Amino acid sequence: MQNPRAAQPSRPVDPPFSPVLLAGIALAPVPPRLLQPLFDAILSVVRRRHPGILERLADYPDSVVGIDPVDLPFVLVLEPHPQMPTLTVHRDFSDVAATAFIRGPLEMLFALSEGRIDGDAAFFSRQLVIEGDTEVVLALRNAIDGAGINLEDDFAATLGPLARPLRHFASVGGRLFNLLSRDMDMVRRSLIGTALRGTDAQSSRISELETELASIRRTLRNREHRA
Amino acid sequence: MTAENVELVCPAGTPAALKAAVDAGADCVYVGFRDETNARNFPGLNFSRPELADGIAYAHERGTKVLVAINTFPRAGKPEIWHQAVDDAARLKADAVIVADVGLCAYAAKTHPDLRLHLSVQASASSPEAIRFYHQAFNIQRAVLPRVLTVPEIAALAADVPVEMEVFVFGGLCVMAEGRCALSSYATGLSPNMNGVCSPASHVRYVERGEKVVSELGGFTINTFGAGEPAGYPTLCKGRFEANGKLSYLFEEPTSLNTLAMLPELIKAGVTGFKIEGRQRGRAYVGAVVKAFRQAVDAIRRGEAPPDIDLDNITEGGRQTAGAYERSWR
Repeated sequence: MQNPRAAQPSRPVDPPFSPVLLAGIALAPVPPRLLQPLFDAILSVVRRRHPGILERLADYPDSVVGIDPVDLPFVLVLEPHPQMPTLTVHRDFSDVAATAFIRGPLEMLFALSEGRIDGDAAFFSRQLVIEGDTEVVLALRNAIDGAGINLEDDFAATLGPLARPLRHFASVGGRLFNLLSRDMDMVRRSLIGTALRGTDAQSSRISELETELASIRRTLRNREHRA
Repeated sequence: MTAENVELVCPAGTPAALKAAVDAGADCVYVGFRDETNARNFPGLNFSRPELADGIAYAHERGTKVLVAINTFPRAGKPEIWHQAVDDAARLKADAVIVADVGLCAYAAKTHPDLRLHLSVQASASSPEAIRFYHQAFNIQRAVLPRVLTVPEIAALAADVPVEMEVFVFGGLCVMAEGRCALSSYATGLSPNMNGVCSPASHVRYVERGEKVVSELGGFTINTFGAGEPAGYPTLCKGRFEANGKLSYLFEEPTSLNTLAMLPELIKAGVTGFKIEGRQRGRAYVGAVVKAFRQAVDAIRRGEAPPDIDLDNITEGGRQTAGAYERSWR
């Protein structure tokens, strides 16, 4: 089956070679509407456990934020209306009039939502892309970061007696994910290791030259100053 | 000054960041209310009154102080929300308020004589005469120094004034005369001094152009970052412009201040407060930086050199500098 996203312009963030990418390929034939109940549940849990998020977004009731997990074959659209927020799944953004977009690998988006990584640092390093209304993206980032979300705890708290099996499942799943990530990284390195070494050597040389250039400039300035 | 007396003064823009700072070993956490009374009036950031009450309770239970920044300049004829902010900080038992405006200093000193006052960097007080004035007139107990002084200049100042010195030790740099910079006003009509926000996000756009990303502020192109090049927030002072046929950072590069290795020198110079910049950053940044500086201060207290801790991955532009403390460009 052809990936409907293939016709879109190239995306500014390349999906990393990870288990999520493989899962995304497997999910490609699944219609987005079948995934919608999962995201309804996520939004419901977040609303119940972290009402402060929507309160911090109260100034942006009409915003429409497109969230693009670049390694999955679908996108999410968040409308943070205080009384009636929605988080909907779409195949792409073609029918969505979003005011802002956030694009990045799924694992990074999860880490951001749990405050495990710094959003500014992710953006500065170009692993995360934002477009459109920067203000609403920043408000969303601050609201989520400030809520102290822990997805595992949040879901466990809503499941009552099922919490323990869920935590066990999550723990086993996390270990499997890490093992698979490590194996896939090994495959990636074996395929492009030589090129990576060349790039590393070039980066190192550029860094040395930058230091040397700064030193020369300083010396020249000092000479000019003395003259 | 000895290492035993120094305090790590750490940023928190949200309740989660406050907890991260306290848990990572902050001696003090500085915060702001969710309005234009503080110089980090960013969307979705800062504390409501109930959130601050909870935050102060959490910090005080763990022996950490909470300072409230009320460091913008009240609008002429409309000082009410600034006065209310001072009243609420006192009512909620904040350990100090950080103020810049002379009128607000007078209001706080008169209305709440027991409330400790710190002079914000926004007051841009960098001479003994200026700092002595704030102390004599309003009983200011600590001055946060502008990021334009060398270590010897700080030492001379500390020896000459009757208040504690606080300096920035990590984070974003502001090389302008703080409290007086009009660059953001020029580009957007809004400034950190009056509205609490430099280069407001409402006026910022990032535009992807193939492999490049262009950053804009108020319709002005501030920078263009090539493929893989670290990006930065588009403040005018960190813009890359063409002048005399040469493309360069005219004022300063997107680089973060990091003085981990200089902490012993700063202690020797008489500094009491080590301030970490970044109330607008997330809790991951706060936790990582506070932990690193806690380790460094504790090492110095044991008579050891501060450890070399890698903070590259959370710095702006992926680069670090000792800034004006060294003035290596001279």
